[in-house]
Amino acid sequence: MRKDVTRGIVSIVVVLVAWEILARLFLENDLLMPAPSGVARSFWKLAASGELGRHFTATLLEFAYGFSAACLIGIPLGYFMGMHKWLEEWMEPWIATLYSIPIITIVPLIIIWFGIGMMSKVIVVFKITIVELILNTAAGVKTIDPLWLEISKSFRLSRWETTYKVRLPAALPFIVTGMRLGVGRALLGVIAAELLASNAGLGYMLRDASETWDSPKLFVTVVLLAAMGIASFTLIKKGEQKLAPWRQTAEW
Amino acid sequence: MASDGGMVAIVGFYRDNSRAIHKALSILCGLVLWHYLAAVVVADTAFLVSPLTVVSKAYEMLFVTGELYPHLFASSWIFLYGYLLSIVVGVPLGFLMALSPAVRDYAHPWMTTLYTTPRIAFAPVLLLWLGIGAGSKVAIVFLGCVFPILINSYYGMRVVDREFVELARSLRMKRVALFRKILLPASLPFILSGLRLALGRGLTGVAIAEWFGATAGLGYLVYFAGQTLNVPVLFVGVTAFGLMGIIGFEILRKIEDLATPWKTSHPR
Repeated sequence: MRKDVTRGIVSIVVVLVAWEILARLFLENDLLMPAPSGVARSFWKLAASGELGRHFTATLLEFAYGFSAACLIGIPLGYFMGMHKWLEEWMEPWIATLYSIPIITIVPLIIIWFGIGMMSKVIVVFKITIVELILNTAAGVKTIDPLWLEISKSFRLSRWETTYKVRLPAALPFIVTGMRLGVGRALLGVIAAELLASNAGLGYMLRDASETWDSPKLFVTVVLLAAMGIASFTLIKKGEQKLAPWRQTAEW
Repeated sequence: MASDGGMVAIVGFYRDNSRAIHKALSILCGLVLWHYLAAVVVADTAFLVSPLTVVSKAYEMLFVTGELYPHLFASSWIFLYGYLLSIVVGVPLGFLMALSPAVRDYAHPWMTTLYTTPRIAFAPVLLLWLGIGAGSKVAIVFLGCVFPILINSYYGMRVVDREFVELARSLRMKRVALFRKILLPASLPFILSGLRLALGRGLTGVAIAEWFGATAGLGYLVYFAGQTLNVPVLFVGVTAFGLMGIIGFEILRKIEDLATPWKTSHPR
C-alpha cells in the first residue's frame, strides 16, 4: 500500500480510538461529545426506524431536481453567452450580482417566495448551480483554441457539426469544473434552506437534533453530511480527470 | 452640418464604450423591470418590493434611525476576527504541510472531511461547544476561511520554481534567507488568491453564524426580516452583504497590486 494512504488510515483510526477513550473516561454524558460507538448506535437506531431514509431521500431529491434543471438551462445559456458578446454584456452585471451576494442571505427570501416545501430548496440548488455553470461554460467556450476552429473550417464542418464535435467537447472540462464548484455550494444551500424552514431533509434533522439536545443524532447527521460531501466531490473529481486528463486537478 | 457632426460623435462614443453602455443599459432595464414587477404585477409588499422602496429603506436605516450600524459593526467584527485567525493559522499550517510530507499525509483525511462537508453542519456542534457568544460565530467564519487559505499556501510553497531554489543554493543562502527571499515571495500570489476565495466563504459564514442565537448582525437582520415577512429590510440586508463582498474584493485587489507588483493578471 502507498505510504500516504497508510498514514491517512492510521491518522483516522488513531483519532477515532482516542476520541472513544476520552469520551468514555472524561465525559459523564454524551451531550457535549458522544463517543463514536454512541454515534454508531444512534445511526443504527435511526436507520432501522426509517427516519434516516426519509430525510436522506428528501435532501437527495431536492438536490437532484435543482441540479438537473440547472444543467439543462445553464449549459446552453452559458454556451450562448460564450458565443455572443452582446448576450454576455447584457447578462454580466446580473450574473456578477448573483455571484457576489452570499447565497445564504437570500434563502429567507426564497422561502417567502416559494414556501417551506420542497420547491424552495430546489430553487436554492438551482440558483447556486446555474451561476457556476453559466460562468464556467462561457469561459470554456471562449478559451477554445482558434486552431481547432480553423481545422473544422478546412474540413468544411457545418455550423451544427462544429458546435457538436468541436466546441462542446472543448468546453466539457470547464462544464465539469462548474459542476464541481456547484455541488459543494449547492449542498450547503440546500441544508441551510432545510434548516431554516422545512419538515424533512438532513437540514431539518440537524435543527431537530440540536433543539432537542440529542447529540448522538446531531453527530449522525454531521457524519452523514460529511459522507455526502466527500462522495460527491470524489465522484466529480474522477469525472474531471477522465474528461481532461491533461489538466492538473486540485487535490482538494 | 452640425447635426451630422453630432451623430458622428455619438456613434463614435458608442463604438468606443459599447461594452460599458450595454452593461449600463442592462442594469437600467433590469431595475425598471423589477420595479414594474413589484409595483404593478405583484403589488404585495410582503412578497416583493420595488428597488425604490429598498433604497428609501436603506436611507432611513442609515441616516434617519441609524439602526443599520450596530448590525454592520457586529458582522464586521466577527468577520475580521475569523478572517485574521484563519490567516494566522492557515498560512503556517499550509507551509508546514508543503515542507513535511508526513504532516501532509496525516492531516489529509481530516482536511478533506472538513473541507468538503457543508459547513453549516458544524454550526450546531460549534454552538454546543462554544455557546451562543462571539466564540462560536468566529469559529464558523474561521472554518469557512481557513481551508482556501491553507490549501493555497500549500500549493504556493509546493510549486516554487526549482531554479530559484537552486540559484539560492549556489549563492549559499542561509535557510532563513531562502525562506524570506525566495519561498515566501514566490508563494505570495497563491496566498493572496486564497484570501480572495476565503472572502466570499467568510461572508457566508457570517450569515450562517448569525442565524443561531444572535441579537445583532446582518445575518440576524436578514433572518429576522425573513421570519417577520419584512421584505424591504431583507433586501437592505442582502444588499449590504453584497456591498461588503465587493468592498473586500477591491481592498484585496489593491493589496495584491502592492504586494506582488510583478503580477499584472489576477489568476483564480
